[in-house]
Amino acid sequence: MDIASLQTLAANNDWLAIMPELLLGCLALALLVLEIILPAKLHSRLPAVALLGVLALLVFQLLGFTAGFAEQESFNGLLVHSREGQVMRVFFLLAALLVGVISTISLAKQKLPHTEFYHILLVVTAAMMLLVQSNHFVMLFVALETVTIGLYILVSYFRSRPLTLEAGLKYLIMGALSSSILLFGIVLLYGVAGNPELPGHTASAMNLDSLHAFLAANRHNFLASIGIVLVLSGVAFKIAAFPFQIWVPDVYQGAPTPVTAFLAVASKGAGFLVLLVLARTFSPYAWLLAPVLTLMAGATLLFGSLGALTQHNVKRLMGLSGVSHAGFLLMGVVAAGTQSMAIGAIYFYLFAYLLASFAVFGVMALVAGPDDADQEISHYAGLAKDSPFLALVLAIGLGSLAGIPPLAGFMGKLFIFIAAFKAGLYGLLAVAIVGVVISSYYYFSWIRAAFFSSGTSSDGEATARPARTPVSFTAGLVLSLLAFGTVLLGLYQGVLGQWLNTR
Amino acid sequence: MGSFLFDFFAIFTVICAVGTVVNKNAVNAAMCFLLCLVGVAGLFVQLDAYLLAFLLLLVYAGAVVALFLFIIMLLDVQGKSAVSFRRLSTAAAVIAAGLLAVGLCSFAIHGHLDAPNPNYASGVGAALKPYAYQLFTLYLLPVQIMGFLLLIAMLGVIVLSKKIDPAEGAK
Repeated sequence: MDIASLQTLAANNDWLAIMPELLLGCLALALLVLEIILPAKLHSRLPAVALLGVLALLVFQLLGFTAGFAEQESFNGLLVHSREGQVMRVFFLLAALLVGVISTISLAKQKLPHTEFYHILLVVTAAMMLLVQSNHFVMLFVALETVTIGLYILVSYFRSRPLTLEAGLKYLIMGALSSSILLFGIVLLYGVAGNPELPGHTASAMNLDSLHAFLAANRHNFLASIGIVLVLSGVAFKIAAFPFQIWVPDVYQGAPTPVTAFLAVASKGAGFLVLLVLARTFSPYAWLLAPVLTLMAGATLLFGSLGALTQHNVKRLMGLSGVSHAGFLLMGVVAAGTQSMAIGAIYFYLFAYLLASFAVFGVMALVAGPDDADQEISHYAGLAKDSPFLALVLAIGLGSLAGIPPLAGFMGKLFIFIAAFKAGLYGLLAVAIVGVVISSYYYFSWIRAAFFSSGTSSDGEATARPARTPVSFTAGLVLSLLAFGTVLLGLYQGVLGQWLNTR
Repeated sequence: MGSFLFDFFAIFTVICAVGTVVNKNAVNAAMCFLLCLVGVAGLFVQLDAYLLAFLLLLVYAGAVVALFLFIIMLLDVQGKSAVSFRRLSTAAAVIAAGLLAVGLCSFAIHGHLDAPNPNYASGVGAALKPYAYQLFTLYLLPVQIMGFLLLIAMLGVIVLSKKIDPAEGAK
């Protein structure tokens, strides 16, 4: 390897293209430095610094700050700045901002260090933003590991609780297992694609474009198909698709509420984006992908809906209902194999899911007592009387998750169903409709507890529940914006809808 | 000569791997694992992957197994409590072994690994210098991200293991 070609390689490292991620990393480092140099009484301001920084980055991103790099490769093909990547940058920044706001509520109820939480949150967000733009297995794996290791820490953050520790340990073991399966698949694909005996072999099989070209030249290689199944299994762990969803209820229950929200929304969103990128790379193996993903989607839908029916803990319920949402999204991924509008539908669904989930998780953080894992549906009894505002936000969020018209969740499901219908997935559609019917049952039993239950048992004794927390101005503003966004996005799809149609 | 060395290291590795699994004393099992890694390193040397062989020795044999031994001695685990197999775990083991056997058979029938082409150049990771060049040009961004990964891992260890001081937390 001569110096000139190394210089070209080095010159292609275009740091400006990943400005939002760099700034996020700098902000995270600045938080740690500020904690050292500022006097102790100013430390309570640090979360606000982090949140304002993320808000500023979000505004810059929305103003088209990095638009000059759209549809270009950088870092010698490690990253591709697709238009989808730009949308997902906004998605993750928004998710980080909302998690930050909910964290201020939840962390206030615990005696734990705050700055490190926001530092890790920002680093994980930046890694997610890089993950969805990566076009190379090395980049993809490194970003994915950064996300996962950050989440191990965040999940076990309230470490004085036994349930949280259990959740952290389970997530660590399942995460390590899924990473090793993913890595095994990657290595198999790399090995097969580098075999000089096969047509179209390539020395740079880690690059997804080269791998796609190799797979197109060998459409029925046995080892490559094993590699593909292993890689898909590794990603299925991250999106909690059946049969890799077993960790969800315990981890969602034990993790702090904001982290549960982060896992449910941002981590799942990142997983689906990776899945879309991989499905595009593996498209020559559609004979294998389509049946595997279809079966997975159907089983995920049914498992999530049926599992959530029996739950009394709202965090477990959100986890299992999240599994069924993963099923709807997987149906979109299957449809995306033939219908390009399904990709737009997946993005719309993700945004609708983000707004509704954070509305619900925000209310959950406010209703929760000092024991974060102990959040029963019965605690919501009489919420409509105590705090009509929270009850309304909860109803809008849950209604959207259940898919009640005219809320955003309904439109999201509708778009996915239309895409699946166009792709001719009638069997899967039937399963999905059953899933919707079952899911409305458990969402409505939660709404019923909030609106129609008085909070007293039959013999007139009040059921034990944590004291209501007063809603701060910021939390109230954020929650009303989320509820408003959910209603608005259901009635008028605006820019997002346009973007959907132009696909 | 090459064939003899390959046979020697391959058999040595497998014997040590079996020793790791069947040894009831945890310290002896860890030592067998160490020898197993030495055998794999020997195989790598025959593939001209000197860097990989030395990394394996330094990182795994040097650091990871030392850590294992340290933990084993810290916990003072003795080989006395042999776990008796229950029916369920025996069934699970039989199924797993069956799957492995099916996988190996289908691999032997369907998958085929031809002899490597002697004209094929060795990879960039075979020696230290090209490896380092790649690391600091092509893979600079992943290396930087690894820096952040190590930072949050370190912070995580501190946050999760620091003693909670109630007076400090109450502020």
